[in-house]
Amino acid sequence: MSHIHLPDGILDPLIWIGAYFLCLLIMGIVLKAIKIDEAQKKIPFIGILAALMLIFMSVPLGIVPVHLSLAVLTGIVAGPAFGFLAVFVVNIILALIGHGGITVVGLNTLIVGSEAVIGYYLFNLLTRRLKPGLSAIFSTIIALVISTSLMLGVVTLTVGPQEALPGHSHDSDIHSGEESSTDIHNDHNDHTDHEESLSEALEEINYLSLTGWAALVAILLVGIFLEAFATSLIVSFFSRVRPDLISRP
Amino acid sequence: MHLASVDYMAANGKSIIHRANPHSKILVALLILIAVIVADSPIKLGLILLYTIVLIAISSPNIKEIGHLALYPVFFSLVFALIKIQQSLVEAIAVILRALAAAMSMLFLITTTPYVDIFSVLSILLPGVIVDIFIFTYRSLFILLDKLSSLFRSVKIRGGYHPIRVFKNIKNMAGMLGIMVIHSFDMSERMYKIFKLRGYKGRLPLTRENRQIRAIDIALVVMSVAILAGVIIKWNN
Repeated sequence: MSHIHLPDGILDPLIWIGAYFLCLLIMGIVLKAIKIDEAQKKIPFIGILAALMLIFMSVPLGIVPVHLSLAVLTGIVAGPAFGFLAVFVVNIILALIGHGGITVVGLNTLIVGSEAVIGYYLFNLLTRRLKPGLSAIFSTIIALVISTSLMLGVVTLTVGPQEALPGHSHDSDIHSGEESSTDIHNDHNDHTDHEESLSEALEEINYLSLTGWAALVAILLVGIFLEAFATSLIVSFFSRVRPDLISRP
Repeated sequence: MHLASVDYMAANGKSIIHRANPHSKILVALLILIAVIVADSPIKLGLILLYTIVLIAISSPNIKEIGHLALYPVFFSLVFALIKIQQSLVEAIAVILRALAAAMSMLFLITTTPYVDIFSVLSILLPGVIVDIFIFTYRSLFILLDKLSSLFRSVKIRGGYHPIRVFKNIKNMAGMLGIMVIHSFDMSERMYKIFKLRGYKGRLPLTRENRQIRAIDIALVVMSVAILAGVIIKWNN
């Protein structure tokens, strides 16, 4: 759901190199923690889950421009460690066919992988009190809200906070650009101007307008709801037919 | 799904680039990617893009399919280009060229090199568990794709998929996926037993047949290094 389709060369190298480093560090810890015997048995299933993620990521849901990612479901079924590894593999294959840059794989794995990890722990926590279907809904929504916020945070870091505001007009940018070309400011003044222009932009926001970023957030909310609905239906189906797939010893 | 046609192009291509060593093709893709990230002007980015287009044209796979795949990065870079255009048209063009050239370098690699060869090279660097997941994912993908497409066709024939009825689509797809995961779980258990019988001990052995370094490998690497050097050198000074 929150897979970043950013191509290469757009993100600041500091962000994507840092994300790669963190991703590889987590993978190193995960690989050290898993038992070889357990891994051998699970690898074919993890491969199949990763393949299903890849397939469902390529099926649009009719008129809504989003697709299922099944990261939370993968986390619930495979566990957080294997879920994270499956997400990494999926992201590499997607990057090879141009769905998001190869430099963005680390970041995408951290963001989509967080869905698998958070989804797994929340689902386990909630199933103690709620039915599996309902637990799946809540855990998916919470995991996706967190991962989508992370994704929007990265996009905001890339384009700047002003551009990420809903209903933001570029007139103020052009105006401030003209001013900066005529006046010579020192660093302190530049910083103050930046804060002022950001606060001006915040005041100018029309939160109810459904254009630009506001429209994007609306689409993402619809996507979150649809993914939660689908995950819940699948988990309910498992609880009836194969409860061993979602129950923990 | 694009992966099937990409796989067909990589496995059945007969061009000189298809016959090149996978190591050199991965190195070329990386060199191009570095050049794209380092390049600071639309002219340099345009030249890199031209180089990737020439490479893809020489390997002569399905240009239409590659064009289709290249539309994804163009579309997503357009969003950022529209934001950049308020500051500078040159920067906006650079954003699109950079995204397209980087994607073309990856497309050059995967449309001329079968996945198994790519995984084989990656197995030198990556842990066995990851490489095995890659191979099982790749293996399962085409089996599942086939099963899902016939399942999806039967759902469609029975009126279970309609572009406007999103909830009904989700409900039916969830049912489809539920059945698929259960089938897959059984399939993975069978797969594990088959591999165990064949001596699987946690790392699938990958053969590297195409180890020979030919003239085309040297030519590709030398050209890519020259392009990277050309990008790094400040021509104005």
